[in-house]
Amino acid sequence: MRLDSRIFGSRLGLLQVKGRKAGAVAQITMRQQMAYKTDFIMRASFMLMILYVFVQLWSAAYGGDHTRVIDGYTLKQIIWYLVFTEAITMGVPALCGLIENEVKSGDIAIRLLRPLSYIGYHYAAYMSEAIFRFFIHLAVGGAIAWLSVGAPSFGYGWAGLFSLALGAFTVGFMLNMAVALCALWVEETRGMEFVLHKLQFTVGGMLLPLDLMPEPLRRVCAWLPFQAMLYFPARTAVNFGAAPVLQQFVIQASWIAVLTVLVMWMYRKGVSKLHVNGG
Amino acid sequence: MLTGDRERAETEQHSSWLGRISATTSFLITCWKVNLASTMEYRVSFLLMAGMMFINNFMWLFFWSLFFGRFQVVNGWGIHDVMLMWAIGAGGFGWANMLFGNFNRIAPIVASGQLDVYLSQPKPVLLHVLASRMSLTAAGDFAFGLVVYAWVGDHSFSGLLLFFIGLLISGLLFMGVTILAGCLAFFIGNAEGLAQQVFNSFVALSTYPSDIFKGLAKTLLFTLIPAGVISYIPIGLLRGFDFDFAWKAAALTLGFGTAAILVFKLGLKRYSSGNAITLRG
Repeated sequence: MRLDSRIFGSRLGLLQVKGRKAGAVAQITMRQQMAYKTDFIMRASFMLMILYVFVQLWSAAYGGDHTRVIDGYTLKQIIWYLVFTEAITMGVPALCGLIENEVKSGDIAIRLLRPLSYIGYHYAAYMSEAIFRFFIHLAVGGAIAWLSVGAPSFGYGWAGLFSLALGAFTVGFMLNMAVALCALWVEETRGMEFVLHKLQFTVGGMLLPLDLMPEPLRRVCAWLPFQAMLYFPARTAVNFGAAPVLQQFVIQASWIAVLTVLVMWMYRKGVSKLHVNGG
Repeated sequence: MLTGDRERAETEQHSSWLGRISATTSFLITCWKVNLASTMEYRVSFLLMAGMMFINNFMWLFFWSLFFGRFQVVNGWGIHDVMLMWAIGAGGFGWANMLFGNFNRIAPIVASGQLDVYLSQPKPVLLHVLASRMSLTAAGDFAFGLVVYAWVGDHSFSGLLLFFIGLLISGLLFMGVTILAGCLAFFIGNAEGLAQQVFNSFVALSTYPSDIFKGLAKTLLFTLIPAGVISYIPIGLLRGFDFDFAWKAAALTLGFGTAAILVFKLGLKRYSSGNAITLRG
Protein backbone atom coordinates (compact mmCIF):
# COMPACT_ATOMS: atom_id res chain seq x y z
CA MET A 1 0.00 0.00 0.00
CA ARG A 2 2.78 2.37 1.01
CA LEU A 3 4.76 1.27 -2.03
CA ASP A 4 1.75 1.96 -4.28
CA SER A 5 1.30 5.43 -2.87
CA ARG A 6 5.03 6.10 -3.21
CA ILE A 7 5.06 5.08 -6.87
CA PHE A 8 1.83 6.95 -7.49
CA GLY A 9 3.17 9.98 -5.62
CA SER A 10 6.47 9.99 -7.44
CA ARG A 11 4.71 9.66 -10.80
CA LEU A 12 2.47 12.59 -9.93
CA GLY A 13 5.53 14.56 -8.87
CA LEU A 14 7.30 13.69 -12.10
CA LEU A 15 4.29 14.78 -14.07
CA GLN A 16 4.18 18.06 -12.15
CA VAL A 17 7.86 18.70 -12.84
CA LYS A 18 7.34 17.94 -16.55
CA GLY A 19 4.32 20.24 -16.59
CA ARG A 20 6.31 23.05 -14.98
CA LYS A 21 9.09 22.63 -17.53
CA ALA A 22 6.60 22.71 -20.42
CA GLY A 23 4.94 25.78 -18.87
CA ALA A 24 8.27 27.57 -18.65
CA VAL A 25 9.03 26.77 -22.31
CA ALA A 26 5.58 28.06 -23.31
CA GLN A 27 6.12 31.25 -21.32
CA ILE A 28 9.52 31.93 -22.90
CA THR A 29 8.09 31.33 -26.39
CA MET A 30 5.28 33.77 -25.69
CA ARG A 31 7.78 36.45 -24.59
CA GLN A 32 9.81 35.84 -27.75
CA GLN A 33 6.68 36.33 -29.83
CA MET A 34 5.91 39.63 -28.12
CA ALA A 35 9.44 40.83 -28.93
CA TYR A 36 9.03 40.52 -32.71
CA LYS A 37 6.26 43.01 -33.33
CA THR A 38 7.32 43.93 -36.88
CA ASP A 39 7.22 40.29 -37.91
CA PHE A 40 3.71 40.14 -36.57
CA ILE A 41 2.54 43.21 -38.44
CA MET A 42 3.99 41.74 -41.64
CA ARG A 43 2.23 38.43 -41.19
CA ALA A 44 -1.03 40.13 -40.32
CA SER A 45 -0.83 42.35 -43.41
CA PHE A 46 -0.16 39.28 -45.57
CA MET A 47 -3.26 37.65 -44.12
CA LEU A 48 -5.26 40.79 -44.90
CA MET A 49 -4.12 40.64 -48.50
CA ILE A 50 -4.84 36.92 -48.92
CA LEU A 51 -8.30 37.26 -47.41
CA TYR A 52 -9.02 40.23 -49.64
CA VAL A 53 -8.13 38.02 -52.63
CA PHE A 54 -10.38 35.24 -51.30
CA VAL A 55 -13.28 37.66 -50.81
CA GLN A 56 -12.90 38.77 -54.45
CA LEU A 57 -12.59 35.19 -55.73
CA TRP A 58 -15.58 33.81 -53.85
CA SER A 59 -17.71 36.88 -54.54
CA ALA A 60 -17.05 36.26 -58.24
CA ALA A 61 -17.90 32.55 -57.83
CA TYR A 62 -21.16 33.38 -56.02
CA GLY A 63 -21.90 36.15 -58.52
CA GLY A 64 -22.02 38.56 -55.55
CA ASP A 65 -25.29 36.93 -54.36
CA HIS A 66 -25.22 36.89 -50.54
CA THR A 67 -28.38 34.76 -50.23
CA ARG A 68 -27.29 31.93 -52.55
CA VAL A 69 -26.54 28.64 -50.75
CA ILE A 70 -24.04 26.24 -52.34
CA ASP A 71 -23.66 22.82 -50.65
CA GLY A 72 -24.78 24.31 -47.34
CA TYR A 73 -22.62 27.45 -47.47
CA THR A 74 -23.61 31.04 -48.09
CA LEU A 75 -20.95 33.54 -49.23
CA LYS A 76 -20.74 34.84 -45.66
CA GLN A 77 -20.17 31.33 -44.26
CA ILE A 78 -17.51 30.60 -46.87
CA ILE A 79 -15.58 33.79 -46.09
CA TRP A 80 -15.71 33.21 -42.34
CA TYR A 81 -14.76 29.55 -42.92
CA LEU A 82 -11.66 30.79 -44.76
CA VAL A 83 -10.85 33.21 -41.91
CA PHE A 84 -10.84 30.26 -39.48
CA THR A 85 -8.78 27.93 -41.69
CA GLU A 86 -6.31 30.74 -42.46
CA ALA A 87 -6.00 31.70 -38.77
CA ILE A 88 -5.16 28.07 -37.89
CA THR A 89 -2.77 27.65 -40.85
CA MET A 90 -0.94 30.91 -40.20
CA GLY A 91 -0.88 30.14 -36.50
CA VAL A 92 1.20 27.02 -37.05
CA PRO A 93 4.91 27.84 -36.51
CA ALA A 94 7.52 26.84 -39.10
CA LEU A 95 8.64 23.72 -37.27
CA CYS A 96 10.37 22.04 -40.21
CA GLY A 97 12.77 24.94 -40.81
CA LEU A 98 13.55 25.08 -37.10
CA ILE A 99 14.41 21.39 -36.74
CA GLU A 100 16.26 21.37 -40.07
CA ASN A 101 18.47 24.23 -38.85
CA GLU A 102 19.06 22.47 -35.53
CA VAL A 103 20.21 19.35 -37.37
CA LYS A 104 22.34 21.20 -39.92
CA SER A 105 24.05 23.47 -37.38
CA GLY A 106 24.47 20.75 -34.79
CA ASP A 107 22.41 22.69 -32.20
CA ILE A 108 20.31 19.57 -31.77
CA ALA A 109 23.16 18.13 -29.67
CA ILE A 110 22.65 20.86 -27.06
CA ARG A 111 18.88 20.33 -27.05
CA LEU A 112 19.34 16.60 -26.52
CA LEU A 113 21.60 17.22 -23.53
CA ARG A 114 18.93 19.13 -21.65
CA PRO A 115 16.82 17.32 -19.04
CA LEU A 116 13.72 17.83 -21.14
CA SER A 117 12.05 15.65 -23.73
CA TYR A 118 13.04 16.86 -27.20
CA ILE A 119 9.57 16.35 -28.69
CA GLY A 120 7.93 17.68 -25.50
CA TYR A 121 10.06 20.83 -25.60
CA HIS A 122 9.05 21.57 -29.18
CA TYR A 123 5.40 20.76 -28.48
CA ALA A 124 5.22 23.24 -25.58
CA ALA A 125 6.90 25.99 -27.62
CA TYR A 126 4.77 25.17 -30.67
CA MET A 127 1.43 25.25 -28.84
CA SER A 128 2.23 28.50 -27.09
CA GLU A 129 3.22 30.20 -30.34
CA ALA A 130 0.37 28.66 -32.35
CA ILE A 131 -2.38 29.72 -29.94
CA PHE A 132 -0.99 33.23 -29.60
CA ARG A 133 -0.73 33.65 -33.39
CA PHE A 134 -4.14 32.07 -33.93
CA PHE A 135 -5.90 34.74 -31.90
CA ILE A 136 -4.02 37.59 -33.59
CA HIS A 137 -4.84 36.26 -37.05
CA LEU A 138 -8.41 35.59 -36.02
CA ALA A 139 -8.77 39.24 -35.03
CA VAL A 140 -7.19 40.53 -38.26
CA GLY A 141 -9.08 38.09 -40.50
CA GLY A 142 -12.31 38.66 -38.58
CA ALA A 143 -12.06 42.40 -39.20
CA ILE A 144 -11.83 42.02 -42.98
CA ALA A 145 -14.59 39.37 -43.09
CA TRP A 146 -16.84 41.55 -40.94
CA LEU A 147 -16.31 44.50 -43.28
CA SER A 148 -16.81 42.40 -46.44
CA VAL A 149 -19.66 40.03 -45.64
CA GLY A 150 -21.02 41.10 -42.26
CA ALA A 151 -20.83 40.20 -38.58
CA PRO A 152 -20.46 36.56 -37.51
CA SER A 153 -23.53 34.94 -35.94
CA PHE A 154 -22.37 31.41 -35.22
CA GLY A 155 -23.68 30.79 -31.66
CA TYR A 156 -22.32 27.47 -30.35
CA GLY A 157 -20.05 27.37 -33.40
CA TRP A 158 -17.53 29.47 -31.47
CA ALA A 159 -17.31 26.87 -28.70
CA GLY A 160 -16.84 24.17 -31.36
CA LEU A 161 -14.11 26.19 -33.05
CA PHE A 162 -12.06 26.86 -29.91
CA SER A 163 -12.31 23.35 -28.52
CA LEU A 164 -11.55 21.62 -31.83
CA ALA A 165 -8.72 24.09 -32.55
CA LEU A 166 -6.62 22.62 -29.72
CA GLY A 167 -6.78 19.13 -31.23
CA ALA A 168 -6.26 20.65 -34.67
CA PHE A 169 -2.99 22.29 -33.57
CA THR A 170 -1.83 19.02 -32.02
CA VAL A 171 -2.56 17.10 -35.24
CA GLY A 172 -0.69 19.89 -37.08
CA PHE A 173 2.26 19.53 -34.73
CA MET A 174 2.48 15.77 -35.22
CA LEU A 175 2.26 16.05 -39.03
CA ASN A 176 4.88 18.80 -39.14
CA MET A 177 7.11 16.97 -36.67
CA ALA A 178 6.95 13.78 -38.74
CA VAL A 179 8.16 15.74 -41.77
CA ALA A 180 10.68 17.76 -39.69
CA LEU A 181 12.25 14.59 -38.27
CA CYS A 182 13.05 13.47 -41.81
CA ALA A 183 15.87 16.05 -41.48
CA LEU A 184 17.71 13.37 -39.46
CA TRP A 185 17.92 11.32 -42.65
CA VAL A 186 17.83 13.77 -45.56
CA GLU A 187 18.63 17.20 -44.00
CA GLU A 188 16.54 19.15 -46.56
CA THR A 189 12.89 18.99 -45.54
CA ARG A 190 11.54 22.21 -47.04
CA GLY A 191 10.30 20.49 -50.17
CA MET A 192 8.38 17.92 -48.15
CA GLU A 193 7.05 20.69 -45.96
CA PHE A 194 5.70 22.48 -49.04
CA VAL A 195 3.90 19.34 -50.11
CA LEU A 196 2.48 18.81 -46.60
CA HIS A 197 1.15 22.37 -46.62
CA LYS A 198 -0.42 21.89 -50.02
CA LEU A 199 -2.11 18.71 -48.80
CA GLN A 200 -3.57 20.76 -45.96
CA PHE A 201 -4.63 23.44 -48.45
CA THR A 202 -6.45 20.98 -50.69
CA VAL A 203 -7.53 17.72 -49.07
CA GLY A 204 -7.44 19.38 -45.65
CA GLY A 205 -10.14 21.78 -46.77
CA MET A 206 -8.25 25.02 -46.19
CA LEU A 207 -9.14 26.70 -49.47
CA LEU A 208 -12.31 24.79 -50.22
CA PRO A 209 -14.65 23.13 -47.68
CA LEU A 210 -14.73 19.37 -48.26
CA ASP A 211 -18.52 19.64 -48.75
CA LEU A 212 -17.88 21.37 -52.08
CA MET A 213 -15.64 18.58 -53.36
CA PRO A 214 -16.74 15.63 -55.50
CA GLU A 215 -18.12 12.71 -53.50
CA PRO A 216 -15.32 10.17 -54.28
CA LEU A 217 -12.66 12.65 -53.11
CA ARG A 218 -14.63 13.42 -49.96
CA ARG A 219 -14.60 9.73 -49.13
CA VAL A 220 -10.81 9.64 -49.54
CA CYS A 221 -10.41 12.79 -47.39
CA ALA A 222 -12.43 11.16 -44.62
CA TRP A 223 -9.58 8.64 -44.19
CA LEU A 224 -6.82 11.25 -44.06
CA PRO A 225 -5.60 13.20 -41.01
CA PHE A 226 -5.66 16.61 -42.72
CA GLN A 227 -9.39 17.21 -42.29
CA ALA A 228 -8.96 17.00 -38.49
CA MET A 229 -6.65 20.00 -38.63
CA LEU A 230 -8.59 22.57 -40.65
CA TYR A 231 -11.94 21.36 -41.89
CA PHE A 232 -13.37 20.14 -38.55
CA PRO A 233 -12.94 23.36 -36.53
CA ALA A 234 -13.85 25.74 -39.38
CA ARG A 235 -16.90 23.75 -40.53
CA THR A 236 -18.15 23.39 -36.95
CA ALA A 237 -17.76 27.15 -36.43
CA VAL A 238 -19.80 28.26 -39.44
CA ASN A 239 -22.18 25.28 -39.64
CA PHE A 240 -22.62 24.03 -36.09
CA GLY A 241 -24.63 20.81 -36.08
CA ALA A 242 -23.73 19.84 -39.66
CA ALA A 243 -21.77 16.91 -38.17
CA PRO A 244 -21.67 15.37 -34.66
CA VAL A 245 -19.01 17.23 -32.66
CA LEU A 246 -18.20 14.21 -30.49
CA GLN A 247 -17.37 12.13 -33.55
CA GLN A 248 -14.93 14.82 -34.68
CA PHE A 249 -13.23 14.81 -31.27
CA VAL A 250 -12.86 11.02 -31.46
CA ILE A 251 -11.36 11.22 -34.98
CA GLN A 252 -8.95 13.96 -33.86
CA ALA A 253 -7.90 11.94 -30.78
CA SER A 254 -7.36 8.81 -32.89
CA TRP A 255 -5.13 10.68 -35.35
CA ILE A 256 -3.18 12.27 -32.49
CA ALA A 257 -2.57 8.79 -31.04
CA VAL A 258 -1.50 7.27 -34.37
CA LEU A 259 0.74 10.22 -35.28
CA THR A 260 2.32 10.32 -31.81
CA VAL A 261 3.38 6.69 -32.20
CA LEU A 262 4.81 7.49 -35.63
CA VAL A 263 6.68 10.58 -34.39
CA MET A 264 8.15 8.76 -31.37
CA TRP A 265 9.26 5.87 -33.56
CA MET A 266 10.87 8.24 -36.08
CA TYR A 267 12.56 10.19 -33.29
CA ARG A 268 14.10 7.08 -31.70
CA LYS A 269 15.27 5.74 -35.06
CA GLY A 270 16.60 9.11 -36.20
CA VAL A 271 18.44 10.09 -33.03
CA SER A 272 20.17 6.72 -32.82
CA LYS A 273 21.85 7.38 -36.17
CA LEU A 274 22.59 11.06 -35.56
CA HIS A 275 26.21 12.21 -35.81
CA VAL A 276 27.12 15.74 -34.84
CA ASN A 277 30.60 16.95 -35.66
CA GLY A 278 32.22 19.74 -33.71
CA GLY A 279 29.87 22.11 -31.92
CA MET B 1 41.04 65.44 -85.33
CA LEU B 2 41.78 63.83 -88.64
CA THR B 3 39.09 61.67 -90.23
CA GLY B 4 41.30 58.59 -89.99
CA ASP B 5 41.95 59.14 -86.27
CA ARG B 6 38.25 59.64 -85.58
CA GLU B 7 37.37 56.45 -87.44
CA ARG B 8 40.04 54.55 -85.52
CA ALA B 9 38.77 55.96 -82.19
CA GLU B 10 35.19 55.02 -83.08
CA THR B 11 36.25 51.52 -84.11
CA GLU B 12 38.21 51.11 -80.88
CA GLN B 13 35.23 52.34 -78.81
CA HIS B 14 32.91 49.99 -80.70
CA SER B 15 35.21 47.03 -80.26
CA SER B 16 35.75 47.80 -76.55
CA TRP B 17 31.97 47.96 -76.12
CA LEU B 18 31.57 44.65 -77.91
CA GLY B 19 34.47 43.24 -75.92
CA ARG B 20 32.83 44.27 -72.66
CA ILE B 21 29.56 42.57 -73.64
CA SER B 22 31.34 39.37 -74.64
CA ALA B 23 33.44 39.42 -71.43
CA THR B 24 30.30 39.92 -69.31
CA THR B 25 28.50 37.15 -71.18
CA SER B 26 31.35 34.71 -70.68
CA PHE B 27 31.51 35.77 -67.00
CA LEU B 28 27.78 35.07 -66.64
CA ILE B 29 28.14 31.67 -68.30
CA THR B 30 31.00 30.82 -65.93
CA CYS B 31 28.86 31.89 -62.96
CA TRP B 32 26.02 29.64 -64.09
CA LYS B 33 28.40 26.72 -64.69
CA VAL B 34 29.87 27.09 -61.19
CA ASN B 35 26.38 27.43 -59.66
CA LEU B 36 25.23 24.31 -61.46
CA ALA B 37 28.33 22.40 -60.41
CA SER B 38 27.86 23.34 -56.74
CA THR B 39 24.17 22.43 -56.94
CA MET B 40 25.05 19.07 -58.45
CA GLU B 41 27.39 18.44 -55.52
CA TYR B 42 24.22 17.89 -53.47
CA ARG B 43 22.36 16.08 -56.20
CA VAL B 44 19.86 14.25 -53.97
CA SER B 45 18.93 17.48 -52.24
CA PHE B 46 18.59 19.23 -55.58
CA LEU B 47 16.35 16.57 -57.08
CA LEU B 48 14.29 16.31 -53.92
CA MET B 49 13.72 20.07 -53.67
CA ALA B 50 13.03 20.55 -57.37
CA GLY B 51 10.73 17.52 -57.42
CA MET B 52 8.84 18.67 -54.37
CA MET B 53 8.34 22.13 -55.85
CA PHE B 54 7.04 20.49 -59.01
CA ILE B 55 4.50 18.52 -56.95
CA ASN B 56 3.74 21.61 -54.86
CA ASN B 57 2.68 23.54 -57.96
CA PHE B 58 0.57 20.63 -59.14
CA MET B 59 -1.26 20.67 -55.83
CA TRP B 60 -2.31 24.22 -56.62
CA LEU B 61 -3.64 23.08 -59.98
CA PHE B 62 -5.49 20.35 -58.12
CA PHE B 63 -7.16 23.01 -55.97
CA TRP B 64 -8.14 24.99 -59.05
CA SER B 65 -9.50 21.89 -60.76
CA LEU B 66 -11.70 21.31 -57.71
CA PHE B 67 -12.77 24.95 -57.72
CA PHE B 68 -13.63 24.96 -61.41
CA GLY B 69 -15.30 21.58 -61.00
CA ARG B 70 -17.82 23.39 -58.81
CA PHE B 71 -17.93 26.73 -60.70
CA GLN B 72 -17.25 26.16 -64.41
CA VAL B 73 -16.28 29.75 -65.28
CA VAL B 74 -15.32 32.64 -63.02
CA ASN B 75 -15.46 36.07 -64.66
CA GLY B 76 -14.53 34.60 -68.04
CA TRP B 77 -11.68 32.44 -66.73
CA GLY B 78 -11.71 28.67 -67.09
CA ILE B 79 -9.41 25.96 -65.69
CA HIS B 80 -7.36 26.05 -68.91
CA ASP B 81 -6.53 29.75 -68.41
CA VAL B 82 -5.62 29.20 -64.76
CA MET B 83 -3.31 26.32 -65.71
CA LEU B 84 -1.47 28.54 -68.18
CA MET B 85 -1.37 31.35 -65.62
CA TRP B 86 0.45 28.97 -63.28
CA ALA B 87 2.73 27.80 -66.11
CA ILE B 88 3.72 31.40 -66.89
CA GLY B 89 4.02 32.45 -63.24
CA ALA B 90 5.98 29.42 -62.02
CA GLY B 91 8.03 29.12 -65.23
CA GLY B 92 9.03 32.81 -65.21
CA PHE B 93 9.84 32.71 -61.53
CA GLY B 94 11.75 29.48 -62.18
CA TRP B 95 14.16 30.73 -64.86
CA ALA B 96 14.76 34.00 -63.00
CA ASN B 97 15.57 32.13 -59.82
CA MET B 98 17.78 29.58 -61.59
CA LEU B 99 19.90 32.13 -63.43
CA PHE B 100 19.69 35.09 -61.03
CA GLY B 101 18.89 33.38 -57.74
CA ASN B 102 19.87 36.31 -55.52
CA PHE B 103 17.14 38.62 -56.83
CA ASN B 104 14.99 38.10 -53.76
CA ARG B 105 17.94 38.34 -51.35
CA ILE B 106 19.11 41.88 -52.10
CA ALA B 107 17.84 43.27 -48.78
CA PRO B 108 19.72 40.81 -46.50
CA ILE B 109 22.86 41.05 -48.67
CA VAL B 110 22.88 44.86 -48.39
CA ALA B 111 21.87 44.98 -44.73
CA SER B 112 24.54 42.49 -43.64
CA GLY B 113 27.34 44.21 -45.56
CA GLN B 114 27.91 41.31 -47.94
CA LEU B 115 28.08 43.65 -50.93
CA ASP B 116 31.76 44.32 -50.15
CA VAL B 117 32.75 41.10 -51.87
CA TYR B 118 31.08 42.16 -55.13
CA LEU B 119 32.28 45.75 -54.96
CA SER B 120 35.88 44.61 -54.83
CA GLN B 121 35.62 42.80 -58.16
CA PRO B 122 35.73 44.38 -61.64
CA LYS B 123 32.31 43.17 -62.77
CA PRO B 124 28.89 44.88 -62.91
CA VAL B 125 27.85 44.74 -59.24
CA LEU B 126 24.12 44.05 -59.62
CA LEU B 127 24.62 41.40 -62.29
CA HIS B 128 27.34 39.75 -60.24
CA VAL B 129 25.14 39.68 -57.11
CA LEU B 130 22.17 38.28 -59.01
CA ALA B 131 24.06 35.55 -60.85
CA SER B 132 25.93 34.35 -57.76
CA ARG B 133 23.22 32.00 -56.60
CA MET B 134 21.06 29.30 -58.10
CA SER B 135 17.87 28.30 -56.33
CA LEU B 136 17.40 24.58 -55.79
CA THR B 137 13.62 24.68 -56.00
CA ALA B 138 13.49 26.89 -59.08
CA ALA B 139 14.34 24.06 -61.48
CA GLY B 140 11.11 22.38 -60.38
CA ASP B 141 9.14 25.57 -61.03
CA PHE B 142 10.64 25.98 -64.48
CA ALA B 143 10.06 22.33 -65.39
CA PHE B 144 6.49 22.67 -64.13
CA GLY B 145 5.91 25.64 -66.46
CA LEU B 146 7.18 23.66 -69.45
CA VAL B 147 5.17 20.53 -68.59
CA VAL B 148 1.92 22.49 -68.20
CA TYR B 149 2.59 24.26 -71.51
CA ALA B 150 3.23 20.88 -73.18
CA TRP B 151 -0.01 19.62 -71.62
CA VAL B 152 -2.47 22.41 -72.39
CA GLY B 153 -0.62 25.09 -74.36
CA ASP B 154 -0.77 26.02 -78.04
CA HIS B 155 1.94 23.91 -79.72
CA SER B 156 2.16 25.95 -82.93
CA PHE B 157 5.31 28.00 -83.58
CA SER B 158 3.53 31.27 -82.76
CA GLY B 159 2.04 29.69 -79.61
CA LEU B 160 5.50 28.58 -78.47
CA LEU B 161 6.95 32.01 -79.21
CA LEU B 162 4.21 33.77 -77.26
CA PHE B 163 4.68 31.34 -74.36
CA PHE B 164 8.39 32.16 -74.21
CA ILE B 165 7.64 35.90 -74.41
CA GLY B 166 5.21 35.35 -71.51
CA LEU B 167 7.93 33.56 -69.53
CA LEU B 168 10.37 36.38 -70.26
CA ILE B 169 7.94 39.11 -69.12
CA SER B 170 6.97 37.13 -66.03
CA GLY B 171 10.57 36.44 -64.92
CA LEU B 172 11.76 39.99 -65.60
CA LEU B 173 8.79 41.50 -63.74
CA PHE B 174 9.40 39.25 -60.73
CA MET B 175 13.02 40.39 -60.75
CA GLY B 176 12.30 44.10 -61.28
CA VAL B 177 9.72 44.40 -58.51
CA THR B 178 11.66 42.26 -56.04
CA ILE B 179 14.98 44.03 -56.63
CA LEU B 180 13.25 47.41 -56.15
CA ALA B 181 11.81 46.21 -52.85
CA GLY B 182 15.20 44.79 -51.82
CA CYS B 183 16.89 48.15 -52.58
CA LEU B 184 14.90 49.66 -49.72
CA ALA B 185 17.68 48.26 -47.53
CA PHE B 186 20.02 50.96 -48.87
CA PHE B 187 17.69 53.66 -47.62
CA ILE B 188 15.97 52.31 -44.51
CA GLY B 189 18.48 49.76 -43.24
CA ASN B 190 16.96 46.46 -42.21
CA ALA B 191 14.30 46.05 -44.89
CA GLU B 192 14.48 42.25 -45.06
CA GLY B 193 10.99 41.69 -43.64
CA LEU B 194 9.40 44.34 -45.80
CA ALA B 195 11.12 43.14 -48.97
CA GLN B 196 10.09 39.56 -48.21
CA GLN B 197 6.54 40.75 -47.66
CA VAL B 198 6.46 42.55 -51.02
CA PHE B 199 7.89 39.45 -52.69
CA ASN B 200 5.40 37.04 -51.08
CA SER B 201 2.44 39.29 -51.83
CA PHE B 202 3.57 39.77 -55.41
CA VAL B 203 3.93 36.03 -55.96
CA ALA B 204 0.55 35.36 -54.35
CA LEU B 205 -1.24 38.05 -56.35
CA SER B 206 0.18 36.80 -59.64
CA THR B 207 -1.43 33.37 -59.10
CA TYR B 208 -5.09 34.45 -59.04
CA PRO B 209 -7.17 35.39 -62.09
CA SER B 210 -6.75 39.15 -62.43
CA ASP B 211 -10.39 39.53 -63.53
CA ILE B 212 -11.72 38.75 -60.05
CA PHE B 213 -10.47 42.21 -59.03
CA LYS B 214 -12.30 45.42 -59.80
CA GLY B 215 -11.84 49.17 -59.55
CA LEU B 216 -8.80 50.53 -57.75
CA ALA B 217 -7.43 47.07 -56.90
CA LYS B 218 -7.40 46.14 -60.59
CA THR B 219 -5.73 49.42 -61.57
CA LEU B 220 -3.04 48.87 -58.95
CA LEU B 221 -2.44 45.33 -60.20
CA PHE B 222 -1.70 46.63 -63.67
CA THR B 223 0.42 49.60 -62.60
CA LEU B 224 2.12 49.99 -59.22
CA ILE B 225 2.01 46.29 -58.24
CA PRO B 226 2.16 44.70 -61.70
CA ALA B 227 1.28 41.17 -60.54
CA GLY B 228 -1.91 41.43 -62.63
CA VAL B 229 0.22 41.63 -65.76
CA ILE B 230 1.70 38.20 -65.08
CA SER B 231 -1.65 36.60 -64.30
CA TYR B 232 -3.33 38.21 -67.35
CA ILE B 233 -0.77 36.81 -69.84
CA PRO B 234 -2.84 33.65 -70.62
CA ILE B 235 -5.77 35.87 -71.63
CA GLY B 236 -4.05 38.90 -73.17
CA LEU B 237 -1.17 37.13 -74.90
CA LEU B 238 -1.79 33.39 -75.24
CA ARG B 239 -5.57 33.10 -75.75
CA GLY B 240 -5.62 35.97 -78.27
CA PHE B 241 -2.87 38.46 -79.00
CA ASP B 242 -4.08 41.73 -77.48
CA PHE B 243 -1.70 44.39 -78.80
CA ASP B 244 -2.82 46.95 -76.23
CA PHE B 245 -1.98 44.57 -73.36
CA ALA B 246 1.24 43.36 -75.01
CA TRP B 247 2.87 46.79 -75.38
CA LYS B 248 1.76 47.88 -71.90
CA ALA B 249 3.18 44.67 -70.41
CA ALA B 250 6.46 45.18 -72.28
CA ALA B 251 6.62 48.84 -71.20
CA LEU B 252 5.94 47.99 -67.56
CA THR B 253 8.58 45.25 -67.61
CA LEU B 254 11.12 47.61 -69.12
CA GLY B 255 10.11 50.37 -66.70
CA PHE B 256 10.43 48.21 -63.59
CA GLY B 257 13.70 46.69 -64.82
CA THR B 258 15.24 50.09 -65.51
CA ALA B 259 13.96 51.49 -62.21
CA ALA B 260 15.48 48.53 -60.35
CA ILE B 261 18.90 49.09 -61.97
CA LEU B 262 18.80 52.86 -61.34
CA VAL B 263 17.65 52.57 -57.74
CA PHE B 264 20.34 49.95 -57.08
CA LYS B 265 22.99 52.30 -58.51
CA LEU B 266 21.61 55.15 -56.41
CA GLY B 267 21.62 52.91 -53.38
CA LEU B 268 25.25 51.90 -53.98
CA LYS B 269 26.26 55.52 -53.45
CA ARG B 270 24.71 55.39 -49.99
CA TYR B 271 26.08 51.96 -49.14
CA SER B 272 28.56 51.83 -46.34
CA SER B 273 30.45 48.68 -45.51
CA GLY B 274 30.02 47.04 -42.17
CA ASN B 275 33.65 45.88 -42.34
CA ALA B 276 32.38 42.36 -42.01
CA ILE B 277 34.75 39.77 -43.40
CA THR B 278 32.69 37.79 -45.88
CA LEU B 279 33.47 35.26 -48.53
CA ARG B 280 31.34 34.17 -51.43
CA GLY B 281 29.82 30.80 -50.73
